[in-house]
Amino acid sequence: MRAILKRELRSYFLSPIGYVCVGAILFLFGLFYFTVMQTGSSYYIASVFATMFNWNMIIIPIITMRTFSEDRKNKTDQALITAPVSVTGIVWGKFLAALGVFFIAMTIGLLPAIVVGSFGDPSWGLVFGNYLGSLLYGAAMVSIGVFLSSLTESQVVAAIATFGVSVFLMVINSVTAGAGEFVVQLVSWISFSSRYMPFTQGIFSVSSVIFYVSVVVIFNFITARRLESRRWS
Amino acid sequence: MIEVKNLTKRYGTNVALDHVSFSVEEGSIVGFLGPNGAGKSTTMNIITGYLSAGEGEVTVAGHSILEEPAEVKKLIGYLPEIPPLYMDMTVREYLDFMYQLKKVTLPKEKHIREICALVKITEVYDRLVGNLSKGYKQRVGIAQALLGNPPVLILDEPTVGLDPKQIIEIRNLIKNLGKNHTVILSSHILSEVQAVCQRVLVINRGRIVADGTPDKLGHDLSTDHRLIIRVEGPEREILAGLKNVNNVTEVHSLGEKEPGVYEYAVEGPDGKDIRRDLFAFCSRNGAPLLAMRSTELTLEEVFLRLTNEEYAHPLRKKKRHEAKGGETA
Repeated sequence: MRAILKRELRSYFLSPIGYVCVGAILFLFGLFYFTVMQTGSSYYIASVFATMFNWNMIIIPIITMRTFSEDRKNKTDQALITAPVSVTGIVWGKFLAALGVFFIAMTIGLLPAIVVGSFGDPSWGLVFGNYLGSLLYGAAMVSIGVFLSSLTESQVVAAIATFGVSVFLMVINSVTAGAGEFVVQLVSWISFSSRYMPFTQGIFSVSSVIFYVSVVVIFNFITARRLESRRWS
Repeated sequence: MIEVKNLTKRYGTNVALDHVSFSVEEGSIVGFLGPNGAGKSTTMNIITGYLSAGEGEVTVAGHSILEEPAEVKKLIGYLPEIPPLYMDMTVREYLDFMYQLKKVTLPKEKHIREICALVKITEVYDRLVGNLSKGYKQRVGIAQALLGNPPVLILDEPTVGLDPKQIIEIRNLIKNLGKNHTVILSSHILSEVQAVCQRVLVINRGRIVADGTPDKLGHDLSTDHRLIIRVEGPEREILAGLKNVNNVTEVHSLGEKEPGVYEYAVEGPDGKDIRRDLFAFCSRNGAPLLAMRSTELTLEEVFLRLTNEEYAHPLRKKKRHEAKGGETA
């Protein structure tokens, strides 16, 4: 797993993809921090992360699109699968590398908050709540993106599918407005955005953490099964 | 070393492998021969654990690929049809990565250097894999298979894309490796199999249609023990004379090949050598015998016969019949 993690992370930054994604996230961070600064209140720093949430939906599919589809297209998956490593190890290696890129971008995005914090007194609970929430949301989306990438040889298809899923999970609770209470509850239970909400209020929601971590474990598990099932096709 | 029993693989309704069984002893070089799409790569992919068989089992050194995949994969160095190379890495980085991936424990720097020298890629060690020529890529692929010095090497068309000089080098390398490795290689180049392998398995349409040394295959399949002779002298008289020679069962003329020289196809009974009789006949009649050759097939002809449907059916029947007889005997 470590060999794959190392290689994948390297390869993100050997090709422009890693730099473009990190750069795009940091550019947007800069833009929103600037807007926040104009309000003159460090309280709103946390809202930067909430705004970033929408943009991450676009950038995460770009990070994950190549994970398995590229390997399959270049037939390098033959080297991975015929090596004495478990399929689960391969999946987690790829997952952690993709998450690593996102993690790097989000963590650097924290720097302006720290700089601002040295001049004022932002609500750190809110800032770190948002930061943690973004990472958890990111991890869940990355695992879904990696799974979708394992279904296709085309990176474009993988990216669009992942984007579609993240939009779906985002808007799912606004389309249930007219439906019965049970449906509304069920939907808000699986909605990524309602799971994210507690963090934006600085609440460390254990159930949300467990929810996101479960999504990661489940999707990585399905991806591993998917790779194994390909052997039988 | 490698036991393959009753492998069957279907892709939808298409049967890629149909009850393929064979075994390979330790330290031998076995060649898979067959036209495109015959099932060579599928067989190799199943042995290495990349694909699973619908039926049947594969064991390598007593370990089943299904039950102990990690054990088996450690024993095998695999070069797939398309070398699994990462184009964005240098040769050094790529081999480092494969070294870690395969959990090799030999001293890293020294081991990788040795392999590079062996397949002659030292001069491109620091170049990007994506920028290498096809021949070099192929050799990096072979280097990758050799990492960790696995006792079994499975090479799917190892010399594709190489120039003639490199082909000879790689063949010699494989021959040398065959001294202390078990090697399975596939090819559709017959001379290659003939030059390198001690044993040939001919696969066609997912079945093994022949199995033996390259020479034995040529001998076995020439069903008719026919001789072609070239004799100087009047056609009619010699034809009549030949018919009366001891043991000759059939003669017919193939026409004039040189001025006054005719060629004849002469057939004798199974297992009987009629060459001396023919020579004696010619010298007795003062008709110079200018050439004599047997119609024993070359490997190329064997291959065409085995893989050509028109020929394949009667031959297959014969083979199967022989196999059955062999079992009961």
